[in-house]
Amino acid sequence: MDGVTSEDWIDNARMIVDSARAIVPADGALDRIRATRFKEPGFDRAVMAEAGELGLFLMRVPEEDGGLGLGMREVCELARVLGGGLLPEPVLPAMMAASLLGPDLPEESMTGALVLTLAWQDATGDLGWQGGAADGRLSGRKVAVPGAEGAHLFAVTTSQGVALLPRDTVTITSANTLDGGKSSAITFDARADLIPCDHIQAVLQDASLAQSAYLLGLSERALDITLDYLRIRTQFDRPIGSFQALQHRATGMKISLELSRAAIFATARRFDTGADAMARARGAARCKLRAAELAMLVSREAVQMHGAMGITDEADIGLFIRKAMTEANVFGTPRALRAQLAQILDQ
Amino acid sequence: MKDLPDFNTMSDADFRALAREFVETNYPDIPRYSLSRLHWDVVKPWYLILSDHGWICPTWPREYGGMGLAAGKHLILIEEFERFGAARVNDIGPVMLGPLLLKYGTDEQKAHYLPRILSGQDVWAQGYSEPGAGSDLAAVRCEAVLDGEEWVINGQKTWCTLGMDANWIFILARTDKSVKKQAGISFLLVPMDAPGVSIRNIENLELEAEFCEVFFDNVRVPAGNIVGGVNNGWTAAKALLGHERVFIGAPRLSAAAMARLEKIARRAGIWQDPVFRDRFVALQCDLADLGDLFETYVDKLRGGQAIGADVSMLKIFQSELYQRISELMMEVAAEGSGLTNPPEGDRQLHAAATYLSARPTTIFGGSTEIMRNMLAKAVLELPS
Ligand SMILES: Cc1cc2nc3c(=O)[nH]c(=O)nc-3n(C[C@H](O)[C@H](O)[C@H](O)COP(=O)(O)OP(=O)(O)OC[C@H]3O[C@@H](n4cnc5c(N)ncnc54)[C@H](O)[C@@H]3O)c2cc1C
Repeated sequence: MDGVTSEDWIDNARMIVDSARAIVPADGALDRIRATRFKEPGFDRAVMAEAGELGLFLMRVPEEDGGLGLGMREVCELARVLGGGLLPEPVLPAMMAASLLGPDLPEESMTGALVLTLAWQDATGDLGWQGGAADGRLSGRKVAVPGAEGAHLFAVTTSQGVALLPRDTVTITSANTLDGGKSSAITFDARADLIPCDHIQAVLQDASLAQSAYLLGLSERALDITLDYLRIRTQFDRPIGSFQALQHRATGMKISLELSRAAIFATARRFDTGADAMARARGAARCKLRAAELAMLVSREAVQMHGAMGITDEADIGLFIRKAMTEANVFGTPRALRAQLAQILDQ
Repeated sequence: MKDLPDFNTMSDADFRALAREFVETNYPDIPRYSLSRLHWDVVKPWYLILSDHGWICPTWPREYGGMGLAAGKHLILIEEFERFGAARVNDIGPVMLGPLLLKYGTDEQKAHYLPRILSGQDVWAQGYSEPGAGSDLAAVRCEAVLDGEEWVINGQKTWCTLGMDANWIFILARTDKSVKKQAGISFLLVPMDAPGVSIRNIENLELEAEFCEVFFDNVRVPAGNIVGGVNNGWTAAKALLGHERVFIGAPRLSAAAMARLEKIARRAGIWQDPVFRDRFVALQCDLADLGDLFETYVDKLRGGQAIGADVSMLKIFQSELYQRISELMMEVAAEGSGLTNPPEGDRQLHAAATYLSARPTTIFGGSTEIMRNMLAKAVLELPS
């Protein structure tokens, strides 16, 4: 046992989740998500402002720096809710960027008036994050930057610290993603202050865990929708959910889901109660592996079980598979994560 | 009765140290790390030592001669015994019948049978399954008819684990054919040496007689040998499952198998092989996730919460994971995968032994398919 038995986090998390209902409707309505997709910039800045008002970006900033100083369990609870609502806004990246910047976090991005996002990844399919710092300049490229098209500020990780780049110092190249958003790379070559930061790796692990929780939430919701469909759709005079072939596959999804939930919240607890660097690396990678597998499994099974209905754009379930496909490999493909874990096997 | 301390007031760390010291000091000169169940003549010394110290029935209340261990402490005990490689004793009496009698038995039954389990005087077998009643356990046909003051039993039971070592067996018998099949079943206690009882050993895939068939031909037992009331056997038998289901899903079998897999891979010279590592790491993640899921149930038990039908997820995942690990072992064992003898005499490194011993885990205690059926209905609330 870790010695810390405080269950305060449960109350904190409940409050955070309740407040998050302002941006993720409790009834699960996905109308706004539909209306936002395939439109520039791929998300709604007003929702980011609302998230700022709610204090969500300050969750991981320590209290002495004016933040809320909350733990990863609270973050994961929130991320679950965001995932269940397929929220396209870069709330989690902004929160993680704020956690990197701490006291250097600009007031306007705290409140969401300016959208801040996180640019960490050096190359796709790779977990490197240290590129960009060169001879006192900031010069390089970051890929898979969430919300880049609508962002005002970029927190860029480098081997020498974090730099805060305003939008006009970066060049953005974007491609459309399946979920109706954008995948953007940014290139930059500018003078910028590098804020020394010794916890970049840790924040990226937090971010990866939060991403896992987002995928968990997405999967929970997709499974719920599918179970409802299995109960009401009748064929051969019976609800299709009474067929064992489908029941067993549904239980397979449920097992993967509960493993994912247990792994994520146990890992978050370990993070909150002082895991060492190795345990953090392992925990983040493991949760991300499971959650990605879960989201891909549940969303494709969900489509199959909806039959032809699942192939239509009018059925909500399609939004989930598109989102899963877009989000599953963020913070590492399963192959990259297993390779990373294999590397630390003997340590 | 032993004057035992209240273990539950100890810290987990202290209790762990105590359990470790106990097994290290007291374990007799019998095999450790056995993959198959050991027979009574081999394992008896260990049973008696546990019994002498008052440690044979960890979960029974102290006033009945148990250790009165809370779930979390029980788990620590199991973990420390497994770490040492202590043999599993014949535990159907301590684990299955004891708790059932405590819940449903009369005072006379408790006073008579419990001490005899504690002392090792009675060794019990479980007689639920029949050739025609496996997954569909409620289909039991073995019949008991009341004749004056005695039940007369006719029929057959099968797959009785270590039944050849037992002197008593508890059975589910049909006592009313006119009602819904679950409703007409009673729970009966039968001495194996009663006239009309005969057994036949069954060899398993490892060519060991680990279970047997038991036949009943006009076997007479006193009317008082019924537990929980006439036609109430199904309820009693099912009520047993509660806590034990959590322990069936514990990650320990898979964890031990992973340790063996690592040793086998190192010996085979492929520990650094990237393709092997990829698969090893994937299994390792599964194991860690299982551990976290398991902990959520243990936490519930610690907090005194009830465990629901969803716990079968643990057993499904654990047993399938154990099998997947054993499958990779077989691949690593390469051309040696079909050997009957452990390489270099180390049974621990014998891939085939693990592979075979992993097979029944998805069948006994509720097959994977049946558990999925239950999950679908009870947890996912899918229609029938
Ligand atoms: C090592 C071992 C020890 C055992 N020890 C004991 C013991 O001590 N006492 C005792 O009473 N019993 C014991 N059993 C018996 C055990 O409980 C049964 O084997 C088990 O319940 C399955 O029954 P069956 O073997 O008749 O399989 P069956 O019921 O014939 O099933 C065969 C296969 O069909 C599948 N199946 C059946 N029905 C369905 C369905 N509706 N939907 C989907 N799939 C289905 C099953 O999952 C299984 O894969 C033991 C078994 C083993 C392997």
